[in-house]
Amino acid sequence: MRAEPAMPATWKERLREAAKEQSAVLWTIETQGGPVGIARVSRHSDVGHCDVQDLAIDPARWGRGYGGDATLAIHRYLFDHLDKRVSAVELPADSERAKRIAERLGSVEFGRGHDACYRDGAYADRLYLRLDRSAWEERWGASEREHPPLPGGIER
Amino acid sequence: MLGPRLAGRNGVELRPPTLGDQKPHLVWLAQPEVTRLWAPRHGEWTEEKAEERFKRQCESRDSANWSIAFEGETVGSTGIFDIDWVGRGGESGLFIGRHDLYGRGIASEAVRLRTRLAWSHLRLHRVHSWIALQDRGSRRANEKGGYAQIGLYRGYAYRSGAWLDDRTGEIFPERAFTPE
Repeated sequence: MRAEPAMPATWKERLREAAKEQSAVLWTIETQGGPVGIARVSRHSDVGHCDVQDLAIDPARWGRGYGGDATLAIHRYLFDHLDKRVSAVELPADSERAKRIAERLGSVEFGRGHDACYRDGAYADRLYLRLDRSAWEERWGASEREHPPLPGGIER
Repeated sequence: MLGPRLAGRNGVELRPPTLGDQKPHLVWLAQPEVTRLWAPRHGEWTEEKAEERFKRQCESRDSANWSIAFEGETVGSTGIFDIDWVGRGGESGLFIGRHDLYGRGIASEAVRLRTRLAWSHLRLHRVHSWIALQDRGSRRANEKGGYAQIGLYRGYAYRSGAWLDDRTGEIFPERAFTPE
């Protein structure tokens, strides 16, 4: 969490920095021509994994499946285009919506930080989750490829 | 920010880094014995970049940085990074560049000093770390310092011809704190 005022001036600076950033990709989540959230993924160039660092949906639009749809779109990109082996994410253990999305995606817990997230005057645990490419292929490979496989025999 | 001078046992001391401390890092980072479990083992290891790094350490408001000295000589560095001053948490890291001094307990003492300050002055609630499971020296130093394992990220990265696992640990500095 970055502690800063949510102002256009600070966001201009953040977007300028994000555009220069070589190890992370930032998206606006859009539906019907308008923004509903943001997502950011690190894409370490030298290792086979990546981290979903931010995924936020406008609270006024919660409950419409935008978070789940965005998550699928991001993972199509990560597995089909960047050829990653694993996608990881850290979530507050009391974030039920985020946990549901991760569970539906096929992510599994590999760690738990105790009293690691502070909000609303109390600490909550932090969950460390991973989605392996094999689990993605098994659950989503038939329906969620970014593009159909290229036909064999094409060399130029 | 630069951390304060902390005198330890057996010739170990944490002290505020200087620009001069950055120069031996350029040599250490090019040595396979030191970086075999690191990525990507290449970088812009120039004096100019070292100066930039030092300037960032000085200006940083969410990290505490130290050089590690052994018998008066700089042998590595450590710090607590990405400090969340609201949640009172941060991530620790440690680097011993002098591989001829591995196994002498320098890292363990540095972890002890760092954790003590994390509570006595920074009042941090929790500090966590990520360490390659196969990096026995760093792992043992953290375990001796009181870090408990809370997760294992299998196949985190490919290094030196093998897939490595990343161990994540945490410590609550208040519980580990003993006044001296």
